[in-house]
Amino acid sequence: MIEIIGVKKNLNGNQVLDGVDLEIHEGTSLVIMGPSGTGKSVLLKHIVGLFDPDEGDILVEGMSVPNADAKQIHEIRSNISYVFQNAALFDSMTTAQNIQLGLPAEHCRKVDARDDPAVAEAIRLVNMDESVLRLLPAELSGGMQKRVAIARAIVGRQRYILYDEPTTGLDPVNANVINRLIARLKNETGSTSVIVTHDVESAFYLGDRIVLLAGGRVQASGTPAELRNSTDPVVQDFLHPKLEQEPETVG
Amino acid sequence: MNGITESGVGARIRRLGRVGLTATSHVGRAGVLAAATAQALARPWEWRRQAVVQAKAIGIDSLPLVLFVACLSGSILAQQAGYQFTDLPMWIVGQAVAAGMLTELAPLLSAIILAGRVGAGIGAELGTMKVTDQIDALRTLGRDPVVELVVPRVVAGAIMMLPIVIFANIVGIWAGWLTAIGLLPMSTEEYIYGVQAYNYAPAVIFTLIKAVFFGITITFTGCYVGFQAQGGAAGVGRTATNTVVAIIVALMVLDVVLAPIYKAVS
Repeated sequence: MIEIIGVKKNLNGNQVLDGVDLEIHEGTSLVIMGPSGTGKSVLLKHIVGLFDPDEGDILVEGMSVPNADAKQIHEIRSNISYVFQNAALFDSMTTAQNIQLGLPAEHCRKVDARDDPAVAEAIRLVNMDESVLRLLPAELSGGMQKRVAIARAIVGRQRYILYDEPTTGLDPVNANVINRLIARLKNETGSTSVIVTHDVESAFYLGDRIVLLAGGRVQASGTPAELRNSTDPVVQDFLHPKLEQEPETVG
Repeated sequence: MNGITESGVGARIRRLGRVGLTATSHVGRAGVLAAATAQALARPWEWRRQAVVQAKAIGIDSLPLVLFVACLSGSILAQQAGYQFTDLPMWIVGQAVAAGMLTELAPLLSAIILAGRVGAGIGAELGTMKVTDQIDALRTLGRDPVVELVVPRVVAGAIMMLPIVIFANIVGIWAGWLTAIGLLPMSTEEYIYGVQAYNYAPAVIFTLIKAVFFGITITFTGCYVGFQAQGGAAGVGRTATNTVVAIIVALMVLDVVLAPIYKAVS
């Protein structure tokens, strides 16, 4: 289980997180949504120790992330994989080498990425052909890069997978492919998923539970049905944004 | 009026304070990175494969340009010595070329070329990795960015700078000889006599010490500045520029600091 307890974070004078409390139960899928700039990605980075909170604590299976020493943080990260918003693949490495990075360093030193059965299995799980394994990231489309990033995240069979805006920058067809892939992988691998998105449709498709962040706090939390029926105006404004006409220029 | 003057002075003091704080913060962060790099050196099995890759990029790929510039430097030195030391015997040209190349031109010019070619490349590459979350991705994948990115480059820089500077010296002195016998009224024997008359043993030690220090400075500074990158493409562009400026300033300061070593070794 991941517990986020009263986390506050100020970045460049801006109170991005202002006391966030969350519990993420094993085997479930939690979607964190909210408008841009509400600290969704910052919150996700706290879970893997890329940010330390100004106040509060993050517990991963009872282990405090901000107070962990180097060995403990290594242990925490060995249970978590992170899919970055822009895939964050390494340009100088082939697809196979990028995926193999999701496995322990000792394994990578011993086994050639092209002949690694774990890499071949991961690429199969994300519905890609093994021929892409020899390609460089620059030779892949945006959607394919996202799938390779997901393959890298699942190759080590980590228990938690954190997705930061997995469908951002993709066309609707590719976004659907990624959403279906995330849902299928959760069922096949039994991993716990935390998905950050501002795409309402993706949130309702993927989430067992949905959390809406606004103003650095949890504005609303519940099952997709509970959120859909919420009477909170902030929730309704986010779920059903009104396209207001821009005032005409006068004179 | 007095108030205006006071506020002007106050603003200047505040600005000075900010500059001081920024400089102190950079020194502190560079110190932390240097300590982490030194610690990781003790685990060569983690970085040696990458160090070989980097050695090729830093050393072998830079060699043609370094040798071309060394060739020009040797020729310029020979011509200037021949045209200016008119009251001295001509063999002094050989001595001037050997002294100039070994103590200053070969290590410093090679380092400046590597600052532009290798240092800027490292800064831009690591800067891009920083702004595209690749460095954070390494951390989440349980890899240490210092072991994966910094140590291989610093080790490769320190090692490859040695053959680069040795070749630059040889080519520079050779080009000086070609120029001397081609453009100046002197013979090969006079030139060789001049080179041999120079007490070159301490200069060779000095040039090799400089090579190692310069190699470390170029690669480490490139890595440090790259890690500080912020923003998008503009940020990476600024990082590449800042890297070259920082390396050249650091090289000149280091050159002054290392100068007394020559006295010590001779």
